Parts: sequence; structure tokens; C-alpha cells
Amino acid sequence: MSAPAAGPAALPRVTSRVSLHHPASHAGIPSPKQARIRRATFFTFVLLGTIVGSWLMFIVLSRYGMHWHETGLLIVFVPLFYQLNTGFWTALLGIWMMNRPKPDPLDLMRTIPRDDMDSPIGATTAIIVPVYNEDVTRVFEGVRAVYNSLLATGRVESFDFFILSDSDDPNKWIEEEAAWLELCRQHNAFGRIFYRKRRAPINRKSGNVSDFCRRWGKRYRYMIVLDADSIMAGKFLVNLVRIMEKNPGIGILQTFPKQIGATTLLGRVMQFAQSLYGPAFVAGLNYWQCGEANFWGHNAIVRLAPFIEYCALPALPGKEPLGGHILSHDFVEAALMRKAGYAVRLLPNDEGSYEEGPPTLIDTLKRDRRWCQGNLQHFSLIFAKGLHPISRLNFIHGILSYVSSPLWFLFLAFSTVTAAMNPELVAPHAHLSVELLLIMTLTLIFLPKALIVLDELSTGRLFKPVRLRFLAALGSFLDTFIFALLAPIMMIFHSRFVIYTILGKGVKWIAQRRKLSVGIDWREPILTFGGVTVIGIVWAVIAFFISSHFNNHFLIWISPVVLALILAIPFAIITSSNRSLFRFGLFLTPEEVNPPPVVQSLEDHLNEVKDRPKLQPEIEQNFGLIQLCLDPYVNGLHVSLLRRRKNQQHSREYFTYLSHKLITLGPVSLHAQELKAIMYDADSVTNLHYELWSASEEHLSGFWKMAIRQYNLVAPNPFTHLIAQRQDA
Amino acid sequence: MEAVESLTATGPMEALTIHFAPRTGNEEEWNEAYARLADYFRSFRLHNRIRRTQLILETLRRAADAHEKDPLRSPTAHAIAQARAMLKEWLSEIYQGMELTESQIEGTGRLGFHLCDGPGRWPHFFIDRNNLPEDMTGAMRSAVRTSGPRLQISKMTPRPIDLGIMGDSDDDDSDGGKLALLRYPILLAIIVGVLWYVYNLTNT
Repeated sequence: MSAPAAGPAALPRVTSRVSLHHPASHAGIPSPKQARIRRATFFTFVLLGTIVGSWLMFIVLSRYGMHWHETGLLIVFVPLFYQLNTGFWTALLGIWMMNRPKPDPLDLMRTIPRDDMDSPIGATTAIIVPVYNEDVTRVFEGVRAVYNSLLATGRVESFDFFILSDSDDPNKWIEEEAAWLELCRQHNAFGRIFYRKRRAPINRKSGNVSDFCRRWGKRYRYMIVLDADSIMAGKFLVNLVRIMEKNPGIGILQTFPKQIGATTLLGRVMQFAQSLYGPAFVAGLNYWQCGEANFWGHNAIVRLAPFIEYCALPALPGKEPLGGHILSHDFVEAALMRKAGYAVRLLPNDEGSYEEGPPTLIDTLKRDRRWCQGNLQHFSLIFAKGLHPISRLNFIHGILSYVSSPLWFLFLAFSTVTAAMNPELVAPHAHLSVELLLIMTLTLIFLPKALIVLDELSTGRLFKPVRLRFLAALGSFLDTFIFALLAPIMMIFHSRFVIYTILGKGVKWIAQRRKLSVGIDWREPILTFGGVTVIGIVWAVIAFFISSHFNNHFLIWISPVVLALILAIPFAIITSSNRSLFRFGLFLTPEEVNPPPVVQSLEDHLNEVKDRPKLQPEIEQNFGLIQLCLDPYVNGLHVSLLRRRKNQQHSREYFTYLSHKLITLGPVSLHAQELKAIMYDADSVTNLHYELWSASEEHLSGFWKMAIRQYNLVAPNPFTHLIAQRQDA
Repeated sequence: MEAVESLTATGPMEALTIHFAPRTGNEEEWNEAYARLADYFRSFRLHNRIRRTQLILETLRRAADAHEKDPLRSPTAHAIAQARAMLKEWLSEIYQGMELTESQIEGTGRLGFHLCDGPGRWPHFFIDRNNLPEDMTGAMRSAVRTSGPRLQISKMTPRPIDLGIMGDSDDDDSDGGKLALLRYPILLAIIVGVLWYVYNLTNT
């Protein structure tokens, strides 16, 4: 465990046992009657829309009898139209929920006195931050921001922080240790903020969380999960605990994390869209999901006792990618929690919960590749016994969110074939059906957006100044073009991801890039999207021949898709740019205009670190290793945190050989595994420190000569190189 | 090496005069040892230059004696070895009776000095075995006592999931309500009505 252990700390703890087989009370679980009415309403609309749309499509296609390509077109159309309807009605009901005169009877905020910071909290909560090779500065400054925010509430004593590291990058590992120690030292937070590093990252993030639950879970009643890039405000955390205390029927309470911190055009557009449209969709989801909502893996509070008892994840039968370890664990944990009799609720909060999104299109796709495999794995769970039907539906929706891409691709492909085989694009008698279908589709796509903009213009839900409301409307108009260009590119990639997954190509666990530290490398988008451009060009040529041969409008009909594909490379480059139209007031979010204190504090501290003079790249890249070997305190810290292992003597010669190589040839001479082998051996680490300082210049590699000269020059203090020194919130 | 350096300092330490005239090694080697020691003590965040210089010279003096006995090792190696020995002696004195192993004294011990902000608060007493202010030793000892929460092991064992064809749904049996029977026919009528309307519209 984190702190140097010489004796046990006597920390006051309140632990409670709830009845595991059933919640202590049903408070927080929507009544079956309420849920049934809401779902009947929602699914009636959704199914009605889907049936009507499918019927119209059938009429359009069946005028001259159904050929194979037309049958195929209809088959793929149905789930696509269902998905459109689901989104549409979710948003519409959400808008209604946000504007209805009476408050929502299921609103959990009504169950507590809001922002009550005076009454004591009778429960202890662990705030856990699982990390894997993340930006150390961002992680620890995020923890600092949350800690300071909690400190301001006066309720920090009810919360402990755990940074749970699975990092296998040797430099990140040491940087995390040093940053943890410095953070604790600055805030005198030993015994409040803990750091734990797993030697073997079994089962990735879910294994990391399970490991925490097994070791320390009994000490806490609740666990709040933060991602490496998410933060939450202190008041909001206190409110969450109070809601859970007041509603023992809730097992998981998922908050709505608002996106912050984007600097690229794509990041800001996503952030803006989530800020403007997100609340309506979340309110709508909350409307029909009721007590069977989803867990998104972070920015949520979890009741630990039933989570430990019921939510451990079994491996799926078969091998990865569709079997084996469950990647997208959160949906499954939600389903298991519900199966255990506890509600999983979604809180449509408007503030207090924040996260960052991927900065570029390529980063978005990398993340989606992982999510895609995780969601497709859920296919085996759809028919698992004992799950609530809505939990099954959540799995289906998750799968559909990726499978819809190949379905859309097939829809367009079948449409191309149909256009190529039919001289008339639309039979004369089907004009009305086509028009109705077109109007219906456009309504499903654009009406929620239009209503949300109208809602913003009339209520000023996001912005009070009228100018900002109109800028939001303009932003909404402009983001339509960006999403229109984005969607076909995503379609191609998601289709590839689905096919790769089905063919058995699994994904590796890689660290996410959260920020674009340097400008985008042009080669990357060219290599990534070159194939997409070729597809677009070929498709455009085919469409041109079809249109000119049959003298129809097929090229115009398909042009938005092929144009987006052709423009994929410039689109990726432009949207990855830091010219994000911020200075024109476009795509603004309330968090950019008036940053909440917790966000402002994070930004200030990150700016302080960012403004520091940079070291030479070689030093910067190996900073953790340099700290470990040269810094007497970091070296001491690392040795203190290592678990003593017996019988290391047999490896002594090997460690000596590796250490000698490291000193004389520098870190490039060792593989990461070799480096880690040394770093796990306390004696080697201690000896390395003295051997390096003792070595004559002639025996040192160029790297170490430079490191020794430069280490003490890192201003103002190498120990705090990665985190801010200004401690105030 | 003929160079003789001296320094007089006042303060918590007694006035100190060090004559440094190593009989073995050359000037270049001892300069390198001096520079390395300077960097080494700076890495302890010892920003008090007077104390740092005192320490460097004291260490070099010891290193010179050691080098006479073992001239095959470089003066730099001797200097760092002496610094390590001095540090260990000092830390052992401070953490006496705390049942720390030798390696814990080295690792955790020096960390304790940092944790209690020793370099800023007691720079003059760093590696001074003869002057150990009580508040400093108290702070260093208490810094290494801090510990994490004790483990409370719990079991988190996956339960097998029966992946068979859709099985029992687990709740929602209780609704009733007087209008329950009426509500579904109404919904059904709406659905049928809309579908009938669309059918007629598209077939005329």
C-alpha cells in the first residue's frame, strides 16, 4: 500500500452491513407501476415509428416485386430505423421532462436537502482512480482538484482517495509514486490519499477495481469511481453520498459527466454537442430506464457490499475477442447489480461531474475500437438467465450502437445495387411513401436538435446572456455539417471494427491520449484515412455512372456520404487543429464561459505545470527513471513501497548485470521488462542509486552524465516537476 | 593534491576548519568527486549552501582517508560511499528503537527527512550526528509512522452466469391498478389506428 508502513494508522471508520440478498429498503427503486407506464409510452412511440417507417420502406421497395437486394435493404433498414426512433423519442421525452411544470417524481435530488454540508455523513466513501500509463500530471492534479473541492465542503474526512495503478511503463510508475508523495506532502493528506500499484494487471480495469474491492472494500460503504480524466465537485460528491444513504435500494448511481478541457476543433464540437443535447438525452434515458439504467464505468457511486457480493465478473466462455475477459465491464456490472435486486439509476445532473473526451478523430476511433469489442462481447449475455429485460435491452442497444455501422454500410451498398438495377429510382406510385419516409427520417434526425435549440433560446438553460444563446444556436447549425462529415467516416471504421472483432482480432490494452500535446502529425491521418478516401472516390464514380446511365438522382442522393469519405483526410487534420473557433465564441459550453471552481482549480494547476521550462526530450521521456536512480527521496520512496520478496538471491547476478548495463549504456540498452525487473528488486534499486552517483564520468553513459548535470537544474524542485507547487484550490 | 581549503562557519554547528590535502589521487579526480558530491547533496534539496559546503568538505576529508587505504577505487566512489555511511549513521541514530531494518532505515529513513520538510526546516542539522534537535527527530520519526489503511480482505468471487436462452425476469409482477386492463387496449388501438391510417394513405 501507498504510505511507508511502520504501524497501522488508527483511522476512524464507520462500516455497515446491509442485507445483501435484498436492499434494506426499496427507497430509490422506482415502482414497477411507474416504470411500466413510462416504458409503455416510450416503446409504443418507438415501435410505432419503426413499424410505420418500415412499412413505408416496404411500399417503396415492393412496387416491382422484391428482389434480393431490396429484401436486404429492408432487413437492414428496420434496426436502423428502430435506432433512429429510440434516439428521437429519448430526446423528445427528455425535453418534455426538462420542461414539465411538475418536478419529476423520480428525481433523486428531491430526496435530500440539496448541498447540505452541515449534517454529518454517516458513511465512509472511497474515491478510486484506476490508472494505466496515464498523463501523471493530469491524474494527480485531478485528484488535487477533487480533494480541495471536498476540503471546502468540510466533509473530506468521510472520503479516502485511492489511485490504483496498473501502469506498466517504468517511467510512469515512478512518476506516479513521486507525484503521490508530493501531493500528500503538500496537503498533509497521508492517510487520506493512497497509492497502490499492481504488479500483474490481471483483468485490466475491472480487475484493478475488483482488487481494490477485495483488499479494502469492506472498509467503505460506497465507492466513487473516477476515470483518469474525470473530476467531480466536492458538494456534488457529498450530495451523491447523501442520496445513496437516503435511498438504500440504489446499488449504482451513475452521474452525467459533462465534457471539459477540449482544445481541438473536434473535441470542442463534441463537448458543445454533449453540453447542449446531452441533458435532454440523459433526462430521456432516465425517463424510460428508471431503475435499470446503465453504469458507464466512472463518475458514479457504487454501493460496495452488494457490488462485492454480486458484481464480480466471470470470464465468458470461449476465447477473446468475443469470449474471455469481459472488456466493457460496466454494463455487465449494472445488469448484475439489478439482478441482485438493487436499482441502477441515472442522475440527470447539470453540474458537478466532468470528464474529458478524446482530442482527435484518430483518438476517438482508437477508443471506439476497444468499446466496440467490449459491446459485441455482450452478445453472449443477452440471454443470460435472471437478468432484467431492460438490462438485456441495454446490451442490445450497446451492440446496436456499433453494429448499426455495418448495417448502414449495407443499406447504402444495397441502395447502390438497387439504383444500378432499377431504371427508375422511385416508382411513380411510391412517391407519397418516399416523401413521407423522407419527412419522417429528417424529423427523426433534426427535430430533437431543433427543439433543444428552441428550448435553449427560450429558457437560457445553458446561458443566460441572449448573445450566448444565439451563438449556441449558430453552433448547433454548424455542428450539423461537422457531424454530417463525421458520420460516414465513423461508419467505415466501426464496420471494420465489427468485422475485425467477429474475425477474432482482439484489441490491445493501450493508454489513451487525452490531450494533443504537439500538433498533429500529417502522416497519421493520411495513412489512417487514405483507404476511406479511396472508398469514397470509387463509390462516387460508381454513383456517377449509375446516375448518368439511368438519368436519375442517385449521385445526389448518395453525395453527402461519398463527399464525407473523400474529404476524410482534410477533415481529420482540420478537426484536430487547435484552431477551434473559440475566439469567435462558437461551440462554447457553460464550463468554458464560467468554469466551476473544481474545473478552474484544475486548469490553473495544469497551466502552472505547463508553463515550466521543458527539459531535453531524452530527460523528459525518462524522467521517472532518472528520479528513481538519482533522487534520494524518490529512491527511498520506491524502496519503501516495494513489497519485500524472498529468494531474490538467485537473480542477484542477473540484476547486477542489468544494473551495470543501465549505468554504462543508458536506458536504451534495456527492454521495458528488464527495467521493470530491476525496479521490482529493492536491493537493486538502492544499489543503483549509489552506484550511479559513485561512477566516474568515464564509466557513465552519455545519458547519465547529462542527467546528473541537469537533474538539479529542474526548476524549482525536481521532485515536484510533474505537479504544481501552488497548493490552494 | 596540494590544495588546502578551509572554511569557518558559525551557527548550530560548531566552528569548523577542514584541511583538505589528500595524499592519493590527482586534482582532476578530486575535482570530479567534489562536483559529484555537490550534485549529490543538492539532490537532497539542501539549498543551504553553507551547510552543503561543510558537508562536502567533511565527506571529502573522509574519502581522502579511505582512498589512501584503497586507491583502486576512484575518489568519487569513495566520496559517495562516505556520504552514504554518514547518512546511515545519522539516520540510525534518529530512528533508534523503531525496529526498522537496515535497508528501511536507508530508504524510508531519508524519505522521513523530506516528509517533515527537513531540508527547509533543519538544513544545518542534516547529517550531523552530534546535534539532533528533538523537534526534528520527532518529526522524522512521526513521518515514517504514517501508514495506509489496514487490509480488510473480502471475497469477490464471480458467480457463474447461465447464458442459456432467455430465462426468468426477476420482478415487475406486482402492478395492478384499476386502469391496467384498459391502458393496454388503448395503446393497442392507437398503434392499430396509426398503422391503418398509414396503410390507407399509401394505398390510395
